[in-house]
Amino acid sequence: MRPGYSPFPLLLPPSTSFSPLRTPRIARPQQLLFSYPKKRHRAPPGDSPTRRRRRRRRLAKMAEQLYTVASDSETTGEDKSQPSFPDVAIGIDIGTSKCSVAVWNGHQVELLKNTRNQKGMRSYVMFKDDTLSAGVTGGAAKENAHEERDILSGSAIFNMKRLIGRMDTDEVVQASKTLPFLVQTLGIGVRPFIAALVNNMWRSTTPEEVLAIFLLELKALVEMHLKHPVRNAVLTIPVAFSRFQQTRIERACAMAGLHVLRLMPEPTAVALLYAQQQQQLVNDNMGSGIEKIALIFNMGAGYCDAAVAATAGGVSQIRALSGCTAGGEDILQNIMRHVVPNFDNLYAGQTMDRIQSMSLLRMATQDAIHKLVNQETVEINIDLGNGHKVSKVLDHSEFEQVNRAIFDKCEKIINQCLVDAKLVPEDINDVILVGGCSKIPRIRSLVLGLCKKEISYKNIDALEAAVSGAALEGAIASGVNDPSGSLDLLTIQATPMNLGIRANGDSFAAIIPRNTTVPARRDMLFTTTHDNQTEALIAVYEGEGERAEDNHLLGYFKITGIPAAPKGTVEISVCMDIDATNVLRVFAGVVKPQGPATPPFIEVRMPTLDDGHGWCGQALAKMYGKTLDLAVLPKKLQP
Amino acid sequence: MASSLASTPVFPSCGARRGARCVARASASAVAVAVASPSAARTHYEVLGVGAGASRCEIKAAYRRLAREVHPDAGGRGDEGFIRLHDAYATLADPDERARYDRAVAVAAPVRSGSWAAPSGSGSGFRPRRWETDQCW
Repeated sequence: MRPGYSPFPLLLPPSTSFSPLRTPRIARPQQLLFSYPKKRHRAPPGDSPTRRRRRRRRLAKMAEQLYTVASDSETTGEDKSQPSFPDVAIGIDIGTSKCSVAVWNGHQVELLKNTRNQKGMRSYVMFKDDTLSAGVTGGAAKENAHEERDILSGSAIFNMKRLIGRMDTDEVVQASKTLPFLVQTLGIGVRPFIAALVNNMWRSTTPEEVLAIFLLELKALVEMHLKHPVRNAVLTIPVAFSRFQQTRIERACAMAGLHVLRLMPEPTAVALLYAQQQQQLVNDNMGSGIEKIALIFNMGAGYCDAAVAATAGGVSQIRALSGCTAGGEDILQNIMRHVVPNFDNLYAGQTMDRIQSMSLLRMATQDAIHKLVNQETVEINIDLGNGHKVSKVLDHSEFEQVNRAIFDKCEKIINQCLVDAKLVPEDINDVILVGGCSKIPRIRSLVLGLCKKEISYKNIDALEAAVSGAALEGAIASGVNDPSGSLDLLTIQATPMNLGIRANGDSFAAIIPRNTTVPARRDMLFTTTHDNQTEALIAVYEGEGERAEDNHLLGYFKITGIPAAPKGTVEISVCMDIDATNVLRVFAGVVKPQGPATPPFIEVRMPTLDDGHGWCGQALAKMYGKTLDLAVLPKKLQP
Repeated sequence: MASSLASTPVFPSCGARRGARCVARASASAVAVAVASPSAARTHYEVLGVGAGASRCEIKAAYRRLAREVHPDAGGRGDEGFIRLHDAYATLADPDERARYDRAVAVAAPVRSGSWAAPSGSGSGFRPRRWETDQCW
């Protein structure tokens, strides 16, 4: 490849509409092989709505001549590095069950619909012979349209968001073994084996690959709408996602040709939308402008999260975040096990008839749960085949009884959020309920009850809030300026999980505690545990567990060349830094004794692990736990 | 937290990291000084630009106003300015912490702080991650 030549010239952002600070630093190509027809459609300085409309029409026309080949000589002067489409990041909400995508259209956030006129598109990828198709188009034409029973036939992979970046000892992966496709585990802390049924054969794939195929189709949909290529995206993720899982999402995006500008915890995207609405009220002289505290509770099919945000003057500060892996999928499985008590025996091992029978059960149960939202009781009547019939009437109290553990989890994360934010229920101005499961009456009453409120906040759509917030963030992070000031917003994020290292044996020493405001930098002093210890292992973990092993291993490295000294006398500083784009860096080195005999500091960007993190943590502890251990230096000895 | 930060060593590696940013560094630290610290040793009150008797509301308002200037997402250069601002806010917004801080400042005349801005120019600027190689491989 020639130097200076980029294979992605169409994907470069324009340099004009960006402030220098926000311009992504990408090598500009010297010559463009492909380029758009130039000049005509660059935004004129005094842009009026009519002009903008006219320009949009021109853009539509130009879509047909999208790939104009320009010779080198034509691309001269300043033009050569200025592709003319504003590269505004799109917002994507990849849900466990449904996905949606939204864009900033110049005035407001617009959710895009697929060819079947849906805003929420079922998240799955269908494997068929040599063709793959994702839920964005849902099999496109009507006669090929995928129905729920096709999706549950074993040929489609879904629930990617629950599987991505998890190891086979994870209880979420274990619970996924009841899905119609193959999830095989060895229980040793490596990635599970996942496969789809194609022509009566299990064909292997990975959650990242499935997600990438889905995102590729989603990207095509957006490009069809916008009539220009898209490159940048802001995605929402559950609060409970580990940093390792975040890298898997980034990898899937990269495979689909999308660059991740931000990964936003879902409730913080909703908080941004709320901040915009509050700011709008102030601009319209309807709001008081004083600080408003919102508790956001989001529960979808795979995850449940809560956040407390304090909003005033367009600045929304995330005061606390918490999340867990409880969602509609767990509710569904609980009910399935409830109506078929010998569920695990009946469906052990995936044979063709069992897959079919289970898909029938799944559909009927799902349908019943949906109906129960608006009904007092619901009847489940299905013939599961092999002479096995289910007939059951389910009411609310039974439903709540069966799912008590899930409601307890919800209660726990809300209480934790309030405690971490140092607030009492009376401090909360608005309770915002979002996500598919927020329609369940018990969930609504539980959240409102904990916050001592009668009603929830009304101006936010439960299913569109997260993706709208992501699109807003996309526009803001892309440097779009809206004259009306509706993008004049700032979210001050917090980190949802403790970050620290393994120390004092198998303990976890948190260096950046959860709910620390980002960007953040914290350090902690450690010391050696043996006389003349010259090496120390820094194993970086993330999570809420007190023991290192209960947390997610992010990476590890050694400090070598520690000056020989009695144990407890050397001081080793470990500093963690999270920048505004949420990148974590760890710095470590010897700070006492000082002098030319000490080794240079080490900087490591985390996570460094690619795979098999559970297995790896155990191996590290077994091999080096005793010899290379560090101890937290007691505070009283610190200067 | 302030005291532990004051003990933060000058990371020798800080300056050398993030190769592409080296150019921006000199100006970044210059701006950080201009925006966030007219003098090296500044009290939390000076960082927020409020008087010693400021109410909690005034402190919050000052924090928000300044956050819109120094937060990296809002165009502020580097993380230092915001980290320091938030540090000041976190201390003064909590009545207990504020009382403790006021006592500490009264006892030991303003000798501390400042030193910790020393990892000069680890100022990052808004730095969107680059292409996929930067993200995953």
